[in-house]
Amino acid sequence: MTEPKNIQVRLFSRKHLLIFGVLLIALVLLFLLDLFLGSVRIPFSEIVRILLSGEGKEEWVTIIYKFRFPKAITALLAGMALSVSGLQMQTVFRNPLAGPYVLGISAGASLGVAILMLGFSSLIFTSNILNIGNWAIVTAAWIGSGLILFLILMVSMRVRDIMTILILGIMFGSATTAVVSILQYFSHETSLKAFVVWTMGSLGHVSREQLQVLSFSVIVGLGISFASVKLLNALLLGETYAKSLGLNVKASRILIFVSTSILAGSITAFCGPIGFVGIAVPHIARMIFNTADHKILLSGTLVLGGILLLFSDIIAHVPGYDTILPINSVTALVGIPVVVWIIVRNRKYSAFS
Amino acid sequence: MEYIKPVLLTKNLEIGFVLNNHKKKIVYSDINISAAKGELVAIIGQNGVGKSTLLRTLANLQKSLSGEILIKGAEINELKRIEAARIISFVSTEPVRIANLKVFDLVALGRFPHTNWAGRLKQHDRKLVQGAIRLAGLEGFEQKSVAEISDGERQRVMIARTLAQETDIVILDEPTAFLDLPGKYEIVRILNDLAANTGKTIIFSTHDLNIAMHRADKIWLMLPHEIVSGAPEDLVLTDRFADIFKDSELQFDVHKGDFLLPVDFIGEIGFLGKGLAGLWTKKALERIGLRVVEAGKQKHIITINEKNGVIQLRLKTGDKKIEFDSIYQLSLFLKSIFSRQIPMH
Repeated sequence: MTEPKNIQVRLFSRKHLLIFGVLLIALVLLFLLDLFLGSVRIPFSEIVRILLSGEGKEEWVTIIYKFRFPKAITALLAGMALSVSGLQMQTVFRNPLAGPYVLGISAGASLGVAILMLGFSSLIFTSNILNIGNWAIVTAAWIGSGLILFLILMVSMRVRDIMTILILGIMFGSATTAVVSILQYFSHETSLKAFVVWTMGSLGHVSREQLQVLSFSVIVGLGISFASVKLLNALLLGETYAKSLGLNVKASRILIFVSTSILAGSITAFCGPIGFVGIAVPHIARMIFNTADHKILLSGTLVLGGILLLFSDIIAHVPGYDTILPINSVTALVGIPVVVWIIVRNRKYSAFS
Repeated sequence: MEYIKPVLLTKNLEIGFVLNNHKKKIVYSDINISAAKGELVAIIGQNGVGKSTLLRTLANLQKSLSGEILIKGAEINELKRIEAARIISFVSTEPVRIANLKVFDLVALGRFPHTNWAGRLKQHDRKLVQGAIRLAGLEGFEQKSVAEISDGERQRVMIARTLAQETDIVILDEPTAFLDLPGKYEIVRILNDLAANTGKTIIFSTHDLNIAMHRADKIWLMLPHEIVSGAPEDLVLTDRFADIFKDSELQFDVHKGDFLLPVDFIGEIGFLGKGLAGLWTKKALERIGLRVVEAGKQKHIITINEKNGVIQLRLKTGDKKIEFDSIYQLSLFLKSIFSRQIPMH
């Protein structure tokens, strides 16, 4: 056997590094552009100066630090978290159409929060409704989304067909929405109001305290994701092969589901349901990086997720006008074409198995 | 009697499933089989007899119901999953067709039980992956997507992955299914070479009896209630092959070493001929249902002559002598002579 020459021991190839470079620059530019947009016009140079030195016209500093910066950070976190949770779900279910929104994970998170705010609190602390802590909300969202994930796993072990699971996911989503409506119907006026305000949540309504909880949760969720890169690569081959490679499939799935629930649940808890980011971004990453290796895909999905949501938020501002479109509608318009493309392409060959 | 210590040994193994209501569904019991180092073992048996269940149990993918599986002397259940994965690798019937998954990356997944938590490939790992790709004859395929290559190439990628896993035992569930004939031979030849050259014990199930008989060192013949094992030739001599398709029309021909469909004889014919032309004419006559005997007093006699590379086919029927250009024309004519009118209802 001759010794193979020139073996490269590199984490990322030169080509991939180049793509990452370009994407990171795009991310930074979009972030700045997102800060630029709003009803009050602040010159671009002033924004950069305020960001770098913290000094400038007091009114502008307040606008940037109190409103625009938290919103842009929220958009960044939401894009990253939803996309990574989508990638994880697509790999674990080996289903190119899996994502937190289509499979009802976001709806599950809403259900968790609804039960906390409407059902639970109506019984216990009717008067003190607005005092439910952010951690309680986010935990309820995690449990709700984790529950739906588990249900879908149970079903997907019996049913192999991608489309069937998708339809079942939509059913689960509709069922949870129905339960939420019933809860609303029976709940107290005060708690109902609080809940309705919560459901209108958007990128811009996240408070400073909430942003802290959100950032912490997303960092923990992403930490688990990056720790499970090897597991995700093995799970890509399916349960049998993963097992034969020595993987503890059950424990790996639970670990990945914990991270998926934290990521999708936290975002839904504070920003409301944001659709089609989780399903679309992993496919864009696969297309751009042309790989199935999660070391690269996860990083790529992360950056592209941030880019896509910042971009959607910029579009939502309808540059030049003072109105803001709901972010969910914008992401749907951006994401749905990708989903349609997957379905059409899938007629030829499936992306998984 | 075993002269060589086996790498894999089962004792009274019982395989099957535990159902939801905790009842056992036994697929097969009393399995006592073994395989030695450097051996290519073929499992043969009818559909549904339990070949896949046996392979999955041996590969540590499902628990046995009772009995023992000893891998290099150690009971399989006492090994950690990761330890077992360093000794046994597995290729299932499920094809892996993931778009964007590169051949190199799939083979590199074989390093899974050997790498750290992040799955980082060191220089040593990369060399092994490259070596596995070369052994499977896949050089130049490294950066191709596994969804774009042919079925045979994909199967070789899966074999390369088991090589990268560096296991002493490789188990493959029907690796030759879905392949065309040259593909089947190619895969079994690779498995045979690997067993002989690397000392791995390779166990595979197949429906291609012919290929298995020509290439396997050992056959586990999975009959409905008994597994007979031995060299292919042992099984021929002890007349055990005939038992596989007992319920079907197929009959095992011990001279040809193959299964044949029984033929209803429609008549007898005298035959005089030698060489290849003689051999193949005889085959054709047998195919259309004629008992071929040495030329004598038969009503119809065929003579084969080969002169200067030209084959002469001559039929003598009573006083008439007819010459034919090809075996096809001869058999067409004979069929018309011997044709029986079989009532359709």
